[in-house]
Amino acid sequence: MNTQQSFFERNRAVILFAAIALTMPLWFPIIGGYSGLDTKIMIFCIFVVGFDLLLGYTGYLSFGHAAFFGIAAYTTGLMFKGFSDNIIPAIIVAVIVSTSVAVVIGLLTLKRTGIYFSILTLAFGEMFHSMAMAMLQQWTGGENGLTGMPTPMLFGTKMQGDAVFYFSAFMAIVMFYVAKRIERSPVGLMMRAIKCNQQRLEYTGINARKYKLLTFVISAAYAALAGAMMVVYEPFVGHEFLGWHLSGEVVLMSVIGGVGTLVGPMLGAAFMLYFENVLSADIGEHWLLYLGIIFMAVVIFMPGGFMEAMSRLKARFKQQ
Amino acid sequence: MFDLSINALFMQLLTGLQMGSIYVLIALGLTLIFGTLGVVNFAHGALYLVAIYLAVSINDAMGFGYALVLVPTILFALGLAMERGLIQYFYNRPHTDQILVTFGLAIVIQEVLKAVFGANNIPFAIPQWGNGIIMMHEWFPFLEGFVVYPKWRMILVVVSIVTVAAVFALLHLTSFGLVIRAGMRDPEMLKFLGVNINRRFMIVFGLGSLIAGIAGVFGGPVTQVSPEVGMHLLVPSFLVVVIGGMGSLGGAVLAGLLIGMAQSFTAHDINLSTIIVYLITVVVLLVRPRGLLGAKGVFE
Amino acid sequence: MAILDIHQVSLSFGGLKALQNVNLKIEEGTTHALIGPNGAGKSTLLNVLTGMLEPDDGSVMFDGKPLLDVNPWDINQLGIAKVFQTPAIFPEMTVLENVTIPVFAARDGSFRMNMFESSDHQRPLIEFAEEQICELGLKDKMHTRADSLSRGDKRRLEMAICLAHKPRLLLLDEPTAGMARHETEQTIELLNSMKGITKVIVEHDMNVVFSLAEKISVLAQGQIIAEGAPNEIKGHPKVIEAYLGEAQV
Repeated sequence: MNTQQSFFERNRAVILFAAIALTMPLWFPIIGGYSGLDTKIMIFCIFVVGFDLLLGYTGYLSFGHAAFFGIAAYTTGLMFKGFSDNIIPAIIVAVIVSTSVAVVIGLLTLKRTGIYFSILTLAFGEMFHSMAMAMLQQWTGGENGLTGMPTPMLFGTKMQGDAVFYFSAFMAIVMFYVAKRIERSPVGLMMRAIKCNQQRLEYTGINARKYKLLTFVISAAYAALAGAMMVVYEPFVGHEFLGWHLSGEVVLMSVIGGVGTLVGPMLGAAFMLYFENVLSADIGEHWLLYLGIIFMAVVIFMPGGFMEAMSRLKARFKQQ
Repeated sequence: MFDLSINALFMQLLTGLQMGSIYVLIALGLTLIFGTLGVVNFAHGALYLVAIYLAVSINDAMGFGYALVLVPTILFALGLAMERGLIQYFYNRPHTDQILVTFGLAIVIQEVLKAVFGANNIPFAIPQWGNGIIMMHEWFPFLEGFVVYPKWRMILVVVSIVTVAAVFALLHLTSFGLVIRAGMRDPEMLKFLGVNINRRFMIVFGLGSLIAGIAGVFGGPVTQVSPEVGMHLLVPSFLVVVIGGMGSLGGAVLAGLLIGMAQSFTAHDINLSTIIVYLITVVVLLVRPRGLLGAKGVFE
Repeated sequence: MAILDIHQVSLSFGGLKALQNVNLKIEEGTTHALIGPNGAGKSTLLNVLTGMLEPDDGSVMFDGKPLLDVNPWDINQLGIAKVFQTPAIFPEMTVLENVTIPVFAARDGSFRMNMFESSDHQRPLIEFAEEQICELGLKDKMHTRADSLSRGDKRRLEMAICLAHKPRLLLLDEPTAGMARHETEQTIELLNSMKGITKVIVEHDMNVVFSLAEKISVLAQGQIIAEGAPNEIKGHPKVIEAYLGEAQV
């Protein structure tokens, strides 16, 4: 809780992240990464940072966050097709729509304990998934997905290649900074208190329910932004943007990276996407099996994920 | 359009019973494990998955009779192994960790099966004696004309009823069952009484898995055999448990049938039938949060 | 002036009558002890006062305002704090963070969307929390994780959390349970030093009760069977009868 630091000292992590992210097109190819994958990593960084506020800080495990990603994605696609190829109104509308849905879902699922919450979020995620495939086919394109969008534009620049990467990286840096601010704020304090001892928090005069809902909505907004940007990156929306597969992937990323650290999940996202898209060339199509095993190993032996491993190593080094 | 003829209603009732049967079997295992061990088993769908793949393989290689005996046995052993080898280390860890590890296990099991058997649907041949149709109009005179129903689906319903009855008999008529029921109400008390909790927990987990095994043997031909089926069934089964009341076996049966009926009676409208489970869940959550037969205060 | 007015409160759990027409008036600024044999309903009464349980009948007035049907957090905001039997703190957070929480609760109320409040803005509140921590003798443990504290220190931390919100009424549910003699003495000293705050203490340790209480109410089987100054309660026939040898006088 140090407050006597300069702006640069206090935001060390963000500055470091910005440096790494903005130079990615330079170093990523060296380790086998390709252009486009770096953009995807930036987008998922946004997704998991918001998700970590809910899981790592407040302690609530949602298996349905892909719903907010997908709803925003479909909305963005529809905005492109029906309104304008300008990404700004599309993203704004998408985030508003998706976040509004999140308020309703949050009110329904947060009432009870974490177990109910996990089950219900899984269920609602699947509900939206089925709806996209059947009921709302006319708008979503059903099993085939939403296609036929114009090239997204930002003030006269085509959102392709480098342009879309730098835009995504910029958004990721900003959203990481925002999350850091939230972490340092009284709201961040209350989030962590909810995870520690919700009952004591209530007896200390805090309406934990409202803070839970706030966190849920914030994390959904992050997911929505990521979903909207996914469509800016690649003008296609598939029903798999909504189901438990994607929700589960986000959980895997967060846990492997290290929940409750904001940075950990971003590392987890980068690792998982790298694993899925680069290493799978060597490992083959069973990358998810290996990731599943890694995930279980993390949960069983090193629940703090990669970040815990790092701090343990640091401690060992210091001893020597 | 919704057909109100006696024939149509009867058929929908039967379909509802059949759909509900699978939900009941899976939900029964889920709620038994949760009520006794307090563990939410996200890998339960994967257990069903193992069951159907085992069943179809043994069926093809040796015949249905072997599958009928071997699959529940293997699943029972698998449940014991899972509990002793993994789950027991998580009793004192936060609930989220339990969910995470069983979720991870579900993914691993699903991926292993996908790697071994491929991602496509494997046809599960119904044994000769189970093939064919039943002349329902011969059994139920109030039906008009010629009404038939697939024999295998009726067998599934009967198997479910027998299984549910057996589980209730086990719980209410044996001393083992007495201990389990006591443990479901007050786990702390059991420890004080010096009961060997560990062994009971292990057996209960095995039992829950065994029931999933039975579901797999008979449900395989109906639900199809592909890697997606596990999670596909787990979600509505979870909701069945929530609607019925977590930890309530009677609730699981009641809710399973309710959901099966609801899906069957709304089948004419694809939009409605897809989301009817969720609608019912929301209504129950708002009106009676503890579930239809749930105990008060349990996760309220 | 009665700061807490409990009137005809009754509560049943199924067939068990936990509280039967309990009438109790707590005078402001006093230390009032609630004693009685196990199962008498003492903890149940405290739970009613903090909003955790809802009685079937009766009313509770705090400073003239009704207390029933109010959320636990609003009750705390009104000025009632509770110390739990097993110290209820925030285990994975530091001592400083633990005490900062009620300070923010006091300033912001039960909810405020100040996600972007800067660290500079928060400085004065954190400093106030630091003062509270020093006052309770936990200065050297300021940045220690709460779950690594000794039980006695956890109790002091919990006290700090309660006091940081400047409560008018402090409810204590067996505050010295499981404590060693010297820790108990320290707790008695600490409670005696808190002037101006009304205290309702549920206790089994009679030494603590007679060191602190200005007035004692005796609860047995959900009913108040005796009430008065300590020397009136000592040797009271009904009280002895109720305890049947459980008292540790």
